[in-house]
Amino acid sequence: MVAMTLDNENSESIFSVQDVSFKIGSIQILSHITIEINKHKITGIIGPSGSGKSTFLRLLNNLISPTTGKIFFNGQDIAEIPPTLLRKQIGLVQQRPYLFEGTVKENLLYGPKIWGIDYSEDDLLHLLDKVALPHEFLERDIEGLSGGEQQRVSLARSLANEPQVLLLDEPTSSLDVISEEIIESTLKRLSEERQVKVIIVTHSLEQTERLTEQLLFLKGGQLVETAPTEEFFTQYRNDEIRSFFKKKEEN
Amino acid sequence: MASELVAMIYQTLVEIWQALKEPNIWIRIGLSAILLLMLIGLSLWQRTNLESKLVWSFLRGFLQVVLFGSFLTVIFGIQKIWMQFLILLFMSAFAAFTNYQSYHYPKVLLIGLLAITASTMFIMSIVIFSGAIFAAIPNLPFKIEGIIPYPPQGEFVIPMGSMVISSAMRMSGIALERAKSDIIKSRGKIEAALALGDSPKNAVKTILKDSYKASLLPTINRVATLGIVSLPGLMSGMIIGGVPPIEAAVYQVVIFLMLLSAAFIASITTNMLFTKQFFTKREQINLVFLNELAQLEQKKAEERKNRQEKRRSWWRRKKQTEENQK
Ligand SMILES: Nc1ncnc2c1ncn2[C@@H]1O[C@H](COP(=O)(O)OP(=O)(O)OP(=O)(O)O)[C@@H](O)[C@H]1O
Ligand SMILES: [Mg+2]
Repeated sequence: MVAMTLDNENSESIFSVQDVSFKIGSIQILSHITIEINKHKITGIIGPSGSGKSTFLRLLNNLISPTTGKIFFNGQDIAEIPPTLLRKQIGLVQQRPYLFEGTVKENLLYGPKIWGIDYSEDDLLHLLDKVALPHEFLERDIEGLSGGEQQRVSLARSLANEPQVLLLDEPTSSLDVISEEIIESTLKRLSEERQVKVIIVTHSLEQTERLTEQLLFLKGGQLVETAPTEEFFTQYRNDEIRSFFKKKEEN
Repeated sequence: MASELVAMIYQTLVEIWQALKEPNIWIRIGLSAILLLMLIGLSLWQRTNLESKLVWSFLRGFLQVVLFGSFLTVIFGIQKIWMQFLILLFMSAFAAFTNYQSYHYPKVLLIGLLAITASTMFIMSIVIFSGAIFAAIPNLPFKIEGIIPYPPQGEFVIPMGSMVISSAMRMSGIALERAKSDIIKSRGKIEAALALGDSPKNAVKTILKDSYKASLLPTINRVATLGIVSLPGLMSGMIIGGVPPIEAAVYQVVIFLMLLSAAFIASITTNMLFTKQFFTKREQINLVFLNELAQLEQKKAEERKNRQEKRRSWWRRKKQTEENQK
């Protein structure tokens, strides 16, 4: 199992996606995506609804496998990494928070229990701080949590697993500005201090500006554009992106 | 072997013939026929159109019960253990097939067969051979019989086995249905568990733990009300047959334990084998299998609709002709 530490310092990119397509039955959901996602950066994925952003994230931690093409994680073909080990390293926060029955605490400890990570009561409270949840939530039953509270528990649950990579599917979509700010600073700290690689799907352009260094733009299952975030906002190189951003600004 | 069987069948037919000579049987049949006539009268009065069906069902049921009832005495008389097992195996296969007919999911025939035979054979082996162990020990102060007297008689093994089999069959079916609907319903939660690095087996356990509870509770409750609310047929029958009540009660409790174990083993086996298909080798939700299930479900719904439609149009036509006659 030592060989499976999944850390190959020689490889430049954390994910190397090579000509990946994904189909369900005869429906083409993603087509021919090729991209290198580099280390130590927060990457944003944007694009219209239904463009395949969530599907792309699910491919990265192997909840689904590409119909054709290959994905490498730290230089290793993910089809050859034991799935549970891969998913321990690559946390995924789903678009909708699916919590397990029980208390918030039980949810947070679900991953650590599998992996034998010890958590003290203090560690758990600290975890709640990171996602802008008050301490008294630890013993709350998940029944009756608001959508935004569930979303934060779901994020904290993934953080508890101490992943190397965090895939976030619109993690702040139903949060207020203050909670959003706290979570964004948590993400920044994670990526700067712990070198956790973050890939975030978002519909908020302000959020991409605040957080990300690299942006992918998906449309109709295709990777239309990828560039450093600043360039996206200074020069829209692509007609489709331009019209997408215009509509956004009008809203 | 074959001649033995022929002899047994002949013997049975002779016994039926003998029994039919007994006048009291005909008196009882005659009295029940009066009830049947009354039913037909009620049916005619209320224009239910069930008369022919009534007569036909009762005739058929009567013949079946006379025939199979008599063969039961043959089966109950079987002494050879391997033959007893063979009969249980046949009954298990039939039960698995019955399950398959009502669910039709992929591989369900095989899964049911494994779940039902495994639980039945396991439990019946304990029942049958518990006596064998004691029989092998020399110089016991008195003869220890085991759960049932050893060597086992068909009259014990077959009815017990049939109860165990039907319990296993029911639970295997319930487990299938629950596993299917729970996994589909909780797909997001399962994927959340997988995304944390959990194994499919464990993820499903998290989801299905309530489903065991729901399927085993009715039997457990029956045990809890034993003797006050539920007076099971077996115990009552034994007491009527002259067995001391305490002995009958002990048998009944043992039987309930057997039924519960069979139910538990059958649902665990079914769950393990059936839920496997919901996942791929890469420990993902198996989209192809879900698709297959959805299509099956759709087909079933369509068939149901067609049948309803047919029945409705039959009624319409019937009413039409009635009105025309008027
Ligand atoms: N299991 C499925 N069966 C059929 N179609 C699917 C399935 N999963 C996803 N799709 C389709 O694939 C496309 C991409 O879906 P995906 O969820 O990846 O989009 P998205 O970019 O995340 O959208 P949103 O911004 O609304 O979350 C959509 O058109 C969706 O309907
Ligand atoms: Mg999405």
